[in-house]
Amino acid sequence: MRYVARSQAMLAKALLTTALAAGSIIAFSASSHAEVPASCVKGVDLATLGPTSIIGQGPHGEQAASPDVLKLTDEEAAKVKAGHFKVGISMQTVNLDWSQLQVAGITDTLNKYGVTVTGVASAEYQVDKQIADIENTIQQHPDGIISIPVDFTATAPTYKKVSQAGIKLVFMDSIPTGLQHPQEYAAMISADSQGNGQIAAQILASCIPQGGTIGLVNFGVDYFSTNERTKGVRAWMGKNRPDIKMKQVDFTDPSKVSQIAGDFLTGNPDVQGVYAVWDQPALDTLSSMRAQNIDIPVTTVDLGLQSAIEIAKGGPLKATGSQRPYDQGVAEAMAMMNALIGKETPAWVGVQSLPVVQSNVLESYKTVFKKDPPKELMDACNSAKPACN
Amino acid sequence: MTDPQANPTMSQPAMITAPQGEKWHRIARTLLRGERPYMLYIAFAILLVVFSLASPFFLSLNNFLNIGRQTTLVSIMAVGMTFIIIARQIDLSVASTLALSGMSAALAMAHIGNHWLVGAVAGIGTGAIVGLINGIVTTRLAIPSFLVTLGSLSAARGLALLVTDTKPVIITDDTYFAVFGEGSLLGIPAPIAWTIAAMIFGILLLHYNIFGRRIYAAGGNPTAALYSGINIKRATTLAFVLTGSLAGLAALVLSARSHAARPDVVQGMELDVIASVILGGCSLFGGRGFILGTLLGSLIIGTLNNGLVLLNVSSPLQLVIKGAIIVAAVAFTRR
Repeated sequence: MRYVARSQAMLAKALLTTALAAGSIIAFSASSHAEVPASCVKGVDLATLGPTSIIGQGPHGEQAASPDVLKLTDEEAAKVKAGHFKVGISMQTVNLDWSQLQVAGITDTLNKYGVTVTGVASAEYQVDKQIADIENTIQQHPDGIISIPVDFTATAPTYKKVSQAGIKLVFMDSIPTGLQHPQEYAAMISADSQGNGQIAAQILASCIPQGGTIGLVNFGVDYFSTNERTKGVRAWMGKNRPDIKMKQVDFTDPSKVSQIAGDFLTGNPDVQGVYAVWDQPALDTLSSMRAQNIDIPVTTVDLGLQSAIEIAKGGPLKATGSQRPYDQGVAEAMAMMNALIGKETPAWVGVQSLPVVQSNVLESYKTVFKKDPPKELMDACNSAKPACN
Repeated sequence: MTDPQANPTMSQPAMITAPQGEKWHRIARTLLRGERPYMLYIAFAILLVVFSLASPFFLSLNNFLNIGRQTTLVSIMAVGMTFIIIARQIDLSVASTLALSGMSAALAMAHIGNHWLVGAVAGIGTGAIVGLINGIVTTRLAIPSFLVTLGSLSAARGLALLVTDTKPVIITDDTYFAVFGEGSLLGIPAPIAWTIAAMIFGILLLHYNIFGRRIYAAGGNPTAALYSGINIKRATTLAFVLTGSLAGLAALVLSARSHAARPDVVQGMELDVIASVILGGCSLFGGRGFILGTLLGSLIIGTLNNGLVLLNVSSPLQLVIKGAIIVAAVAFTRR
């Protein structure tokens, strides 16, 4: 017993000493950042920022259709209500604002027309889980499935089974390899990813001096929407700012971006601005920049609460080309109902990009999230008045 | 299932009551613990030389600070994992515990008081509780820790996702950012300072404390330890609590750096932690290992990650090279 008591006392002593030593000695000083160029962002007129129409093409080179073509007449709406349809949803994850807003847009719209949502499956980015999710959903005999494929090729045979079972399919963001419109799927709805990339490029370019260099933090996995974004950046730069040199680093594991972007900036000290392919990699890039005391402008695609706060504060994150995930969800539900009552549906429906900068971040938040900005965002914006609005 | 090479007596920490003259000998033994630990130093040195020659950006203080910062999370958790693996256990839940602790810290600051100490207590406390549950279930119900922590890996991650319905929690306290993420001590960035603190604490506890001797005994020869009157269950439980608490500390560092706690962070990091400990000379069969080896293991993996990006190696190829070098390094240091 004495042995135990002694060991516990020593353990407690060691714990206390280490904690006290570490806590009390550390004299912390917040890092200081250099100022960004004054012409940055301000040189761009918000009214002319971003494309005026959908600039990208669908996965099979289709032209984009507007969500307006999916509207239902009163007669068609009555037909949908009378059908007592059931629709299942299969997501790549439900842990993103993007996914939750998509699901909310779909569910709200379907419920409005009396269509039941049988369930929302989350594949957690795993192909085998998504295959199982879809097979389980088929067993529930829904009339339609709305889904975002985790992978182009591995899920394709399973999606073919869906259409063979007579179930209507609407995709978000991309289409599995080999599926044909309109026999095997009714429609694909996505943001104008190239347009979003163009917004990110346009703002970033305003912060880069003549002949400067930018870094692209890109997703190294072949995925339609992320490919399109980076393509949008490269295309805009090539046409409008051919003087800017572009370097690229790819990541395949999103949890490693902080390390990869940090090392990329160390290995490429000439990089004067960064484009990150979506908002979380942008935030991870910001965290490694803070650690290394690097202050260069960053732009990205997609809007979340944290990225909105960073834009509101007026820090290195200058702008994002946002999707409108709720509106995309509404369009997916509308496309599904069109298909369920036997109407023809376009192969690709593109939803317009939304440029977000410090001066319109509050309004943009409301547009994207369909609710008032939370306190954290209001506080960040208030502390940066009048630049933030 | 005892590793025939494991020899607990060789790995026993030096007696703290040893005569003064043996001081340097003891320090040397601490540094050179394990079978052929100098091989580990050589492996690390080779990596440093190769990358220094290959990239003009590798050999700089800034880049070494990069590596230090990037390995912080793995290194801090690996200190605890060293105790666990020496005690012939495993903890697969560390990454999930980190996620849950980070959420707990951020939520406590949002709802109880926006002060860094509130976050620190909540974060480390949550980690300790998860560790305590792991330890008690493993030792009292005699369920293998592999299964227990496989369960808590899932449950802790699920809880982290559940508390805010998968949404991140924003942190706004500047002192919290400074203390755990962005400040510095004598030019050493805070994350690295915390890593060093965790290492020193681990070394004192494992190599210079009776608790460490019990951990070695529990893993090296549990039957003998039992008959010697050592309370293996208590020591093992405490090792889990320690690991959980350190996962909590790592959560504070991560959330301070990213100004928010997210429930989906560091998925799969438990494997990096275990790899660092094993690469650092710890036996998966228990009874053998040392803290400095673990640090080296973590630094070797971190240096590989860093160097391959500096050399612009493509992302998939990086994974292949990293895997091959880790296996080669283990073979090299164990031969």
